[in-house]
Amino acid sequence: MREDMLASILSELNGTSADIEASAVISTDGLMIASVLPQGMDEDRVGAMSAAMLSLGDRTSGELGRGELEQVLIKGDNGFVLMTHAGEDAVVTVMAKPRAKLGLIFLDVKRASENISQML
Amino acid sequence: MSDLKIIFTGPVGAGKTTAISSISDVPPVNTDKAASDMTKVKKNQTTVAFDYGVMNLNGDEKIHLYGTPGQERFNFMWDILSTNALGVILLIDGSRKEPLNDLIFFINVFKDLISKTALAVGVSQLDKSANKCLKPYNKKLREMNIKSAVFEVDARSKTDISLLVKALLFSIDQGLEYAS
Ligand SMILES: Nc1nc2c(ncn2[C@@H]2O[C@H](COP(=O)(O)OP(=O)(O)O)[C@@H](O)[C@H]2O)c(=O)[nH]1
Ligand SMILES: [Mg+2]
Repeated sequence: MREDMLASILSELNGTSADIEASAVISTDGLMIASVLPQGMDEDRVGAMSAAMLSLGDRTSGELGRGELEQVLIKGDNGFVLMTHAGEDAVVTVMAKPRAKLGLIFLDVKRASENISQML
Repeated sequence: MSDLKIIFTGPVGAGKTTAISSISDVPPVNTDKAASDMTKVKKNQTTVAFDYGVMNLNGDEKIHLYGTPGQERFNFMWDILSTNALGVILLIDGSRKEPLNDLIFFINVFKDLISKTALAVGVSQLDKSANKCLKPYNKKLREMNIKSAVFEVDARSKTDISLLVKALLFSIDQGLEYAS
């Protein structure tokens, strides 16, 4: 039930921009709660990588005086990975195409994260 | 380079995070998060990236201490943290059902690193375990052709963990002498 509602928020998020290729909600210890991923993408890997990166981002932001972490952005040849807190205990991870319009995606992901954090 | 790096690894709950905070001379960095997997029957928090601490040696030498997550889903962190490590401390929770399987599993994971550097094994939680004997561990290590000291440790004890680290440093030193 909760998974279904989370998955529908994620599907909607993926639908807001043709640049978004995948999205997932993950517990801060790296377990998948809900996801809309392309075939063949390994849920466990996405979960664990997101948890590790976000926790490092949290620490780095705090220790280097940047305050509370909002998001972690990774850029590779083949696109972006964006990780955003959804409340204390979850992460929303989004994968986007290389030339994605990040500004719009930031906004959509922020909105989705707020909705998701209210459901958890 | 006078800085050494060693890693602490082993299964969830063996005491890697605790051990590093017991011996670190600086406030340790920890990345523990609320556990939602099977870990939570044992403890509330679990490491998702790494633990970090520093142990000062005589003079101005220091050892950087890195602790790994225990769950296999974080095995990419095992690789990342192993880079340039000069030795491995393997902590085994002696109160688990099949601690020798954990020993074999982690030695196999870090086989290459161990064969090039050094290993020291600490068996923790023996106060809670019916079986307190270290012989099976030594026997298994011999079977696997691995040279390593095995100690009973309590991860909360600075003395125990320091001793384990010193045993590792000692075998690293020996390795270096053989090499030169
Ligand atoms: N009774 C007992 N508890 C221990 C011993 N060593 C560690 N602990 C406890 O076991 C838990 C280990 O947790 P943690 O350090 O997070 O383990 P990690 O998953 O390996 O990082 C902590 O609560 C320690 O206080 C031991 O020898 N005996
Ligand atoms: Mg830990």
